[in-house]
Amino acid sequence: MKYIVIIGCGKTGRELAREFSHQHNVVVIDKSKYALDSLGEDFNGKKVLGDALDLKVLEDAGIKEVDILVLATGNDNVNIVISKVAKKLYKNIKKIALQVYDTSKKKIFSEEGLIIVNKTYILVEVFKKCLL
Amino acid sequence: MFIIIAGAGKLGILLAKKLKEDKHRVSIVDKSEIVCNKLAEELKGVLIIQGDATNPEVLKSAKVEKADVLVSTTSSDADNIIICNIAKEAFSIKRTVSRVNDPKHLLLYKHMGVDVPIDSTTILARIVEEEASFSDVMNLLSVKKGRLSIVRVDIPPNAPVVNKMLKDISLPANSVLISILRGPEIIVPSGITKILSGDEIIAATIIDNEKQLIRSLIGKL
Repeated sequence: MKYIVIIGCGKTGRELAREFSHQHNVVVIDKSKYALDSLGEDFNGKKVLGDALDLKVLEDAGIKEVDILVLATGNDNVNIVISKVAKKLYKNIKKIALQVYDTSKKKIFSEEGLIIVNKTYILVEVFKKCLL
Repeated sequence: MFIIIAGAGKLGILLAKKLKEDKHRVSIVDKSEIVCNKLAEELKGVLIIQGDATNPEVLKSAKVEKADVLVSTTSSDADNIIICNIAKEAFSIKRTVSRVNDPKHLLLYKHMGVDVPIDSTTILARIVEEEASFSDVMNLLSVKKGRLSIVRVDIPPNAPVVNKMLKDISLPANSVLISILRGPEIIVPSGITKILSGDEIIAATIIDNEKQLIRSLIGKL
């Protein structure tokens, strides 16, 4: 069982949180109560209402004990900033994955230890597999 | 100097105007077309680029690679940090300065290597506090990451230093009196300067000796 923190409870964050929470210890952070509520009554993880750019909020959510961190806020810049700082400060985190929409930013901010998930790249791969 | 400003809000525009008056080269980037069109009429001789400054291509069209300094003034802290980072990583800009919108985000700026994050809320709060307070001692400024502090100390009538000359006062190590404000007068003190009741003393001290300095000037904390 792993300890997973997911930041951003939009479509992606929500689905990941539900999926992971069956087998793992999940904490979801979002600044909107409405977004957190969308996880549903039966969600069996922890919900934290707060601003993830505030390190105190991350630490209160237990970031110092986390195994996996997922950034899915829908804002590239927020995802990049939090993932970089988390990688630098919290050596306990074994894997950090972040969503980045802008392909030019993916190039600039790629570094070892950050798993950057880019929709366009994935779609291109899928299309290639289907077509060729 | 050539300065790039990201974000044409009140701060960005004011800054662009001032820098232009001082004969610097300036380019300014803002997302909003309306803002940029308006600026084009107001600010002559400034390169105005409409676009998202967190996009490296946009920064490039603002001639970022020729800039000496980049200043980020947008209302999003994540954007400011990313803009400063792109300027540094992709365009080797030596000095990045940014406005900090939420003081709670200041740590992120520091960890992400923004050279000069300016936390205007905290600065303003300190000024307001100073103007509103009756306290004898006020911390005016911290430099070198808080290791050196500049303080203002109001000398009350019962202070141990009243009517003494500076040479007869023992101050802690690494502390120095910079100036004495006496009514309209500004005095740069020497050994024979006498301290009077009601003087405002501006002093610089290593942070570890701040309390000791204050104690030796006003006799208490």
